[in-house]
Amino acid sequence: MTSFLGGLLHPLALPAHALALLALGLLIAQQRAQFVPFAAFIVGLAVGLAAIALAIAATSAVDVLLAGAALNGLLVALARPFPMFVSATLAAVAGIALGLDSPPEVISLSAATVMLIGTGLGAALALAIVATGASCLTRDWQRIGVRILGSWIAASAILVLALRFARGLMF
Amino acid sequence: MRRPADAVAALCLLALACGPAFAHTGSGSGGFVGGFAHPLFGPDHVVAMVAVGLWGAFLGPPAIFILPVVFPLVMAVGGVLGILGVPLPGVEIGIAISAIVLGLMVALAARPPLWIAAALVGAFAIFHGHAHGAELPPGTDAVAFSVGFVVATGLLHLTGIGFGLLARWPAGRFAVRAAGGAIALAGIAFLRGVG
Repeated sequence: MTSFLGGLLHPLALPAHALALLALGLLIAQQRAQFVPFAAFIVGLAVGLAAIALAIAATSAVDVLLAGAALNGLLVALARPFPMFVSATLAAVAGIALGLDSPPEVISLSAATVMLIGTGLGAALALAIVATGASCLTRDWQRIGVRILGSWIAASAILVLALRFARGLMF
Repeated sequence: MRRPADAVAALCLLALACGPAFAHTGSGSGGFVGGFAHPLFGPDHVVAMVAVGLWGAFLGPPAIFILPVVFPLVMAVGGVLGILGVPLPGVEIGIAISAIVLGLMVALAARPPLWIAAALVGAFAIFHGHAHGAELPPGTDAVAFSVGFVVATGLLHLTGIGFGLLARWPAGRFAVRAAGGAIALAGIAFLRGVG
């Protein structure tokens, strides 16, 4: 149960994951087609989690996650409609990166599996809540607020990427 | 000095005649709280951010949201330059001038085309971002610090917008323009080293 709860809260406990999920959720909410990008995220997440469960070596997934957050935040700030495959691709990449950046922090195989399931569920729930909540923001000032939030996310992610690069932590 | 261009020309002369205040010192701690406090510890940064919001509200839609969207994005570019150690001459002077120019824009009720307003705000954002980027304390939680830092900057914009919305009423319009004048004067004080 502790492993499951730890996994469930994992996407929210890591600021980079929360930032990426927030950006993607806002982006999905802005687009007309919302199911396909969400499904693409779930598939990507499953692939990423499966890969990390198979103990693939350490990756630069967090950098990809942050770059995706920057790009998604920028697109939210622009608030322009674009083809569905673009948002689906961005969602799938975010899902894979989030999964790869979520190695289970337990030793036993069963606890690790439970933790990864919790992580997947937590990330999917968080994305669904953000996207659904943002979809309800239909008034002009609310949509403006979403765009401003997108610019904040993009700016934060860009700064973090620069810091990681300057500290030699990137790739 | 009726036109904004005259005011800007006078201010350029003033900038050449004095030294900067280096009022922006940063907070020196990490995490979200450190990042959030970082912009608030620089009075020159605070007044310039409020001026961005005031001017956006004064100009009305779409500037009211385009300026606060443009600023953090361009500021991040300046921040990247600062973090990477790319030198940018006259950063503190540029920050003080940003307060003067943006304050004057509000005080003089200047209404340039949106692209000029956005370009002006964006140009000053480079200086603010560079100063913050260069002052980031080592060993901080990068994500939490950056989020706190950007959120504080954005909230300063929103503070300016909130106050600027008073411009819908005649008395409020006077108050907003007076606030712009006060910000410009504060900028001059920073430029002369009083801050």
